[in-house]
Amino acid sequence: MSTRRGFIKSGALALFATGIGGVPAFIANAANSNKIIAPYKKSKKLVCIFQRGAMDGLMAVTPFTDDNLKLARPNLFMTAAKGSSNSPLIDLDGRFGLHPTMKAFEPLFREKRLGIVHAVGSPNSTRSHFDAQDYMEAGTPFNKGTSTGWLNRAVGLLGHDGATPFQAVSITSSLPKSFYGDNPSLAINNLQDFAIQMRGNPLAANLAAKSFEELYDQTSSNLLSRTGKESFDAVKMLQKANTKNYKPANGAVYPETQLGNSLKQIAQLIKMDVGLEVAFTECGGWDTHYNQGTEGGAFARNVGDLSNCINAFWADISTYQDDVTLMTMTEFGRTVKQNGTGGTDHGRGSCLFLLGNDVNGGIVHGNMPLLAKENLEDGRDVPVTTDFRSVFSEVADSHLKINNDRVLFPEWDGKKIGVMKG
Amino acid sequence: MKKISSVILLFLLFIGAIPFLSSFTSTDSNSNNPIIKFPYKKAGLSERQAAAHLLSRFTYGATPNQIDEVVKMGLENWLQQQLQANQPDDSLNAMLSDYETLSMKNKEIVNTFPRNNQQILRKAIKEGKLEKDTGQFDKKANRAQLEAYMKANGLKPERELIRQLINQKILRAAYSNNQLQEVMTGFWFNHFNVSLTKKDCIHFVTCYEKNEIRPNALGKFGSILLATAKSPAMLTYLDNFRSVANESGSVANEAGAKRLRELYAKQLELRNSGDTSQQFKDVIEKIKKSQKAQGLNENYAREVMELHTLGVDGGYTQSDVTNAAKVLTGWTIFPMQEMYGGKDFMTKLIERVGEDKLKQQGFVHDGDFMFTPNKHDKTEKTILGKKFPANEGYEEGVRLLDMLAHHSSTAHFISKKLAVHFVCDNPPTTLIEKMANTFLNNDGDIKQVILTMVNAPEFWSKEAIREKIKSPFELTVSTVRALNAGIAQPYQLANWINKMGERIYYYQAPTGFPDRAKYWINTGSLLNRMNFGLALASQRIPGVTFNLAALNNNHEPESTEAALTTYCKILMPERNVTETVKRLTPLINDPQIHDKVDAAAGKAVSPQMGQTMTGDEMMTTNDAKKGKKGKDKNEESSITQMQSKVGSNSMINQVTGIIIGSPEFQRR
Repeated sequence: MSTRRGFIKSGALALFATGIGGVPAFIANAANSNKIIAPYKKSKKLVCIFQRGAMDGLMAVTPFTDDNLKLARPNLFMTAAKGSSNSPLIDLDGRFGLHPTMKAFEPLFREKRLGIVHAVGSPNSTRSHFDAQDYMEAGTPFNKGTSTGWLNRAVGLLGHDGATPFQAVSITSSLPKSFYGDNPSLAINNLQDFAIQMRGNPLAANLAAKSFEELYDQTSSNLLSRTGKESFDAVKMLQKANTKNYKPANGAVYPETQLGNSLKQIAQLIKMDVGLEVAFTECGGWDTHYNQGTEGGAFARNVGDLSNCINAFWADISTYQDDVTLMTMTEFGRTVKQNGTGGTDHGRGSCLFLLGNDVNGGIVHGNMPLLAKENLEDGRDVPVTTDFRSVFSEVADSHLKINNDRVLFPEWDGKKIGVMKG
Repeated sequence: MKKISSVILLFLLFIGAIPFLSSFTSTDSNSNNPIIKFPYKKAGLSERQAAAHLLSRFTYGATPNQIDEVVKMGLENWLQQQLQANQPDDSLNAMLSDYETLSMKNKEIVNTFPRNNQQILRKAIKEGKLEKDTGQFDKKANRAQLEAYMKANGLKPERELIRQLINQKILRAAYSNNQLQEVMTGFWFNHFNVSLTKKDCIHFVTCYEKNEIRPNALGKFGSILLATAKSPAMLTYLDNFRSVANESGSVANEAGAKRLRELYAKQLELRNSGDTSQQFKDVIEKIKKSQKAQGLNENYAREVMELHTLGVDGGYTQSDVTNAAKVLTGWTIFPMQEMYGGKDFMTKLIERVGEDKLKQQGFVHDGDFMFTPNKHDKTEKTILGKKFPANEGYEEGVRLLDMLAHHSSTAHFISKKLAVHFVCDNPPTTLIEKMANTFLNNDGDIKQVILTMVNAPEFWSKEAIREKIKSPFELTVSTVRALNAGIAQPYQLANWINKMGERIYYYQAPTGFPDRAKYWINTGSLLNRMNFGLALASQRIPGVTFNLAALNNNHEPESTEAALTTYCKILMPERNVTETVKRLTPLINDPQIHDKVDAAAGKAVSPQMGQTMTGDEMMTTNDAKKGKKGKDKNEESSITQMQSKVGSNSMINQVTGIIIGSPEFQRR
């Protein structure tokens, strides 16, 4: 017992080097089964954020020179022209303007770390949130029966077993469809909950933890005893890291929102070197049928939060930036025309953001046509000119070194558009 | 010679067994003597151990003394009674009487629980009851205004519907006297999964479970298949309600149909030759395009074969799927929404022409189900080698489902799924064969299939005993049952079930939750199971009440060691608990720890402050608002303090928590 605890105190990596003796069970298991263990400090990490509800890509990154849009959205259209309002759009390239509340993204874009892909979406034209999210997370836009998620398949294609239970972590209350599948993945709502808890009675909790450890150690069920060991080892790893009193680096200040909290926890896991390779979280509130607002209002708050959270995360993980790529996704975009209640309805193409030192940044990728009626899908929506699988697979291939698109995205043609460097 | 005679003997035995088998399940059978003795003795099980196993499989967990009851009644009689599912459930029904949605029809639910606030907002603004500018309903004042408007119009928030759905399931599982029916309801719901994540079907899930699943849970497989196929929940969840005949259904577009047929032929040919080149992909794209143009939706047709009947290797082709989708075109939902906008096309048509006249043209109206011949593909189809002649309307769908329900692949697929649920994660094929034979010979009678399973030695083998891992729902309900606990706020338990990894009614994929230990047990969920045990036992889950002393007939165990043994036996009857007791005794006996824990427990926060619940706050407060809690905060926390002063009591609570979180209690 004491050797193991000492071992854990000395840090996961050091432990790793000392051999099997006091190694956490999951590492010992992996070693015993002769699986290659990634030297996980060096491993690349992909962080995905699902914006549930369908973000209006046209308002986040506006083709402000397109008069068709101005006509279609008399109350929602914004421009980058100086003096047009107190806070005009941030002119990215003379054609696209970033929503003013996303100013945190501007430096990242200018430094060419942040890339944008526009008119991206699913080839399946469903406008149902459920179906579109399901298809996107499964990675199979025409097959509802797919039982696994694309990120779970990605984990299986990494070429090595996870050395710890933290290889694939979703900071959500339940496992997202993206993580469904046979490869181990973990949903945690709050890292601090990852412990034996008896509020207000740490002594009893400690006794209970010891009791459980004893019981799970002796059980005849292999699955229960192995998982039990892993759980207690993981708890100890997190205890050591003191998740409760976490101080972000570089003065990064996370907004006190759900997304801010989630990204902060992902940053913690990254910096703890616990073997994280794929992380996922989500944010809601994008289904803006009603009073969407312009430079202020519901949408502005949401994109402001998104960019501020991501910006804080990026600053916080400064020494790990080379290892991390972050990607946002949303199930579809919204109608070009505003509706009768100051909002927009379900559409097709939207945009997504990519952040990382490997990202081909500073560019609005994709093919956004002029928004004249004849160019629109079904005469009303931004046409999907880039298949989401093109972007997802390029990011996975390039960043995580996955090389099997047919498993990652079955039935897809594999065309890529150069959103990543090299 | 010897061989032949033994074959004859076996045959005679078999013939002789048939009347017994059939009388066994007949509803009027009141025989006190079990006709067939379950073969547990050969597996080395005592009658009590066998009763414990039976209860672990066909209930949501044994209640105290239930093993005695089953033994007294006779194991076979008990199962027979459970198969009839006609035990009175008065106390449960009284608990459920507050849930008005349980007596509502789909139409009432649709018109009482509007889909979302935005719809109501639009309506309220239209009527001038809300100012347009104040539409931000995240602001408190506006929310109050909106709530007032809804109340005045008899509308209720959707979350209330969901809360009632989840609460009733927990209460039924915990307290129904027809436990097997409830277990089978859970099994079939998961098999014919629909999900609250699909907003379109939220309204229909309550009636789906109540009217289609539960009454058919122990009936013929064909009945439950047809009932689900026609239900609004399934019709929306898998999109069949919007699947309409492509133009090829009319003669004018025969060319289109021919083209599609050719494409399928090409696809099959390429697939069979193992070709995965660009050409193959092109063909698939072309097929998708022509289907899209036609308005045919294959989702249900595919899943009904892959997930509901034949199984993925059940021997059907893509062309079977497409043709099945065509057979099921026009199967949709009778209009039921009254609130928004004017009447839809169908309502107007029915009013104008009259239902009787429409029926003469093949129109079918059956409850919430509607078959519209004008949306139906009238061409001839071939599925699994069987011809479905042209122009047979609704009946051809019924015939298709009947054919699928009686297919040999279905018999095997369903038998295996039942065996996985009731026996072990990898059931032996010998068992599946026996069950599938019964399925095929008895018109898919689920009762008979279950009996065959229980009469098989495989059911009682050591590979089966305690080999299933409880799902989070099963763990939670079995705890409540083992403790004889009362539940005033079922949603508090739902929050824990979520936390442990099972968001009931929210599983997104049509596969339903995977029914295997590996899915439920991972590092995160396991810790939550332990924490659940501790939270529940230390009375930190609001609204869940129990009396540990009463479970032991108010005898106070003479030592902590005695308490450990006693409560292990109460919570895990007929299990070998020596190892558990041995491992825990030194820890629990440490007098220092004992005193410290008691001292610390005295300082512990009250249950309300201590709760660690996540999830929808609205739902939990809603329960509290209904005044079901019985005790107010002060009263409750003073009780806790009193209990902790008693000292040994908090140690018993702690011991109980550890038992609930122990590996042995995770098994059934």
